[in-house]
Amino acid sequence: MQRVWVVALLIGGSLASLPSLAVTPLVVEAALDRQVVAPLLAAFEQAHPGIELSYRDRSTLEVDRLVVAADPPPDVVISSAMPWQMNRINQGYAQRLDSELANEWPEWAKWRNEVFGFTFEPIVMAYRLDLARHMLPPHTHADLQRLLETQRDTLQGRVTTYSPSESGIGYTLFQQDARYTERFWDLVTALGANDAHLAPNTRTMLEGLSEGRYWLGYNLLGSYAMVWAQEHSEVIVQVPQDYALVVMRTGFIHRDAPNPRAAQAFMNFLLSCDGQRVLAAQTPLFSVRPDIIGPYTAQRLRDQVGDRLYPIPLNASVLAFVDPQRRQAFMARWAREFDRSWREGDQ
Amino acid sequence: MTQVVGSLKARLAIWLLVMVSGLGALLLMEAYGASQRAAERAFDSQLAAAALTVADAIQWEGRDPVVSIPLAALQILATAHQERVFYTVLDHDGRRISDNLDIVIPEADQAAAADAPIWRDTTQAGTRWRLHGREYDSAGWDIQDPVQIWVGHTTEGRRVLTHELFERAILRFVAMVLLAALLMLLAMRVALTPMRQLRHRLRQRQADDMRPLDMQVPEELREMVEALDTLFSRQRKSRDNLLRFTADASHQLKTPLAGLQSTSELALQSHAPDVWYQALVDVHEGAQRTSRLAGQLLSLARLRHMEEAEESQPLDLGALLRDSVLEWAQRDMAAQHDLGLAELPSEPMVVQGQAWALRELLGNLIDNALRYTPPGSEITLGLYANDDGLVLYIDDNGPGVDAEVRHRLRQPFERGGRQDTHGSGLGLAIVDNIAQRHAATLEIKERLPHGLRIEVHFPPSVQPSEEPA
Repeated sequence: MQRVWVVALLIGGSLASLPSLAVTPLVVEAALDRQVVAPLLAAFEQAHPGIELSYRDRSTLEVDRLVVAADPPPDVVISSAMPWQMNRINQGYAQRLDSELANEWPEWAKWRNEVFGFTFEPIVMAYRLDLARHMLPPHTHADLQRLLETQRDTLQGRVTTYSPSESGIGYTLFQQDARYTERFWDLVTALGANDAHLAPNTRTMLEGLSEGRYWLGYNLLGSYAMVWAQEHSEVIVQVPQDYALVVMRTGFIHRDAPNPRAAQAFMNFLLSCDGQRVLAAQTPLFSVRPDIIGPYTAQRLRDQVGDRLYPIPLNASVLAFVDPQRRQAFMARWAREFDRSWREGDQ
Repeated sequence: MTQVVGSLKARLAIWLLVMVSGLGALLLMEAYGASQRAAERAFDSQLAAAALTVADAIQWEGRDPVVSIPLAALQILATAHQERVFYTVLDHDGRRISDNLDIVIPEADQAAAADAPIWRDTTQAGTRWRLHGREYDSAGWDIQDPVQIWVGHTTEGRRVLTHELFERAILRFVAMVLLAALLMLLAMRVALTPMRQLRHRLRQRQADDMRPLDMQVPEELREMVEALDTLFSRQRKSRDNLLRFTADASHQLKTPLAGLQSTSELALQSHAPDVWYQALVDVHEGAQRTSRLAGQLLSLARLRHMEEAEESQPLDLGALLRDSVLEWAQRDMAAQHDLGLAELPSEPMVVQGQAWALRELLGNLIDNALRYTPPGSEITLGLYANDDGLVLYIDDNGPGVDAEVRHRLRQPFERGGRQDTHGSGLGLAIVDNIAQRHAATLEIKERLPHGLRIEVHFPPSVQPSEEPA
């Protein structure tokens, strides 16, 4: 398959009169909303008219499953669930990208030159204006926990956060939160006590906020939330003032990519100035490159939020998050803490 | 002409290069092995550290061991080279409690790890892995079985580190060689200083300065300086000889020419035709003698300045001797002597030489014998072979020569104290010269009761094919 396309490319290149032969398909499996990333995809298609891009938007866990299950395998895999991505890299499902762009990419945003973090998305809290009418909105994790404990009557059933079992990104965020302090479990208990709704993705949470079902959301993807808040004035986005986690969308070229050249072109475009400039200007995904200027850049976010940004590291340590026993233990603890108030209430 | 073939420095440099290359190859092979071992040790100890970190996270929950894999263990495993990582925890029955990859651990390795920590190389799907296994004793309330921890990572970092270490070793080695070469050059300069001094001294020397070199030299140059000194002294001697010969020759030519002058003057003062006639006869004889003297001087000078490279060929000395004696016996000069030939060996007596020179040698020997013996003397020539080669001899029963002047006979113009002949005193000098050119030696012996024997000893012929069977 791969060879056929190379031959086709060669023929297409030599026969200018038959440009249609040169069209290469490219399959991208991504856990990244199509609407959000549309400007980037359009820019890519414009830059590479010879590549026919097939972009498939799915959940993080579905994308991870397709890395192994899809036949033919996808060319490029994009996901925000970094531990799952790293696990696939560790299993050898990626191929190296040794382009100049890849080599110059910041060390903290790549692993083995196989997987590259190309966005810089803060994790935020979001609340409805209604909440601000009743109480002082939370600025920190401690604020949030205190609010959940003290305003239980008001907030009962009006709080939402990620479901750790349904969402890879949500699970990763909680794991990372739990690494920093044991008080995280008090927060989980408080969430449980408020009968918090566990959502599979940020979009569901934002829709619930707009519709008035929820007043307060915790651990939302800032990239989506900020765009949403621009269009829905009732939703306010708060970057936590104590610490804000940062996730990176990571992409890699599948080891068995049917169209490796097109996949390389796509990855290089993601890392290039052109691609990152589109990210910074037309999407809320925040460019990683320090030389890009725009409303959404890692540099600008650092300037605004300060040193309290804590990116989830793109290294082997996150592999622990997908360890079955560790995951099992974490989920068991989560369930225990989340349901604690009920059990205690029953007693 | 002296040919320049390479230089001492180049030779030393080549030797140095050859030895350094040979030695360097061995050293570098060793260095590669050492680099590899060092890299393996460094990374193996990281595997051990990771395994211990994992061991620390194992706890018993009832009857099952539970491991909450620590993030640090994974980072230690991955190392700075971002290796792919592997870990698994096995319970006492070999069941996997936890793992992240399907790397098979053979039962033999599990058994070995039960005794002591082990390290293993393995290849999974074309990728090389380095595994480390160790057993960990962990006591639960219900079960006290040990668990086994296996960790591993890919080997890219080891390869990179090995190459880094090896490159450093190569750099050190190259630097050392360059330094050694530099020091060697300096040492060579210092060591060759006496050579330069010698060259300088020789260049400064006047053309006619034949004194020995007077300088301090190291042991290695002693022989060369001695050889030069010997050469100088030989040249000095040769030049002295030449000067003496020229002086003698002038003197010898002056005497007969003065005789001719006085005879002709006397004759011119007279008016008697018979006096003129007598004077003309005297002048004629004098001119003949002078001419012969000049001829001999010429041939001696020619022999002395002959180029060494003149071709020699195998000659039958017996035949040559026979012809010469026969020729001389027919001359008027030999009419009053008994010139004879001893019985010659039947087989040919071969020497390497030049026919004209050997004929000259024989002629001079016979001429000498005829001149310096009274009429009626017996002169016998002969030839025989002995162990040292061939011996040519000429005997006479003339008056002989006193022992004290005998050794001077081979010098030019030496007549053995005899003034009664018209000999030039050059005959034996010529013979000696020719003999030397043929690597032969001249011996002058006394004969009893009176007379002289002259022997020419030829070395054995060097061409065996010409020798009689």
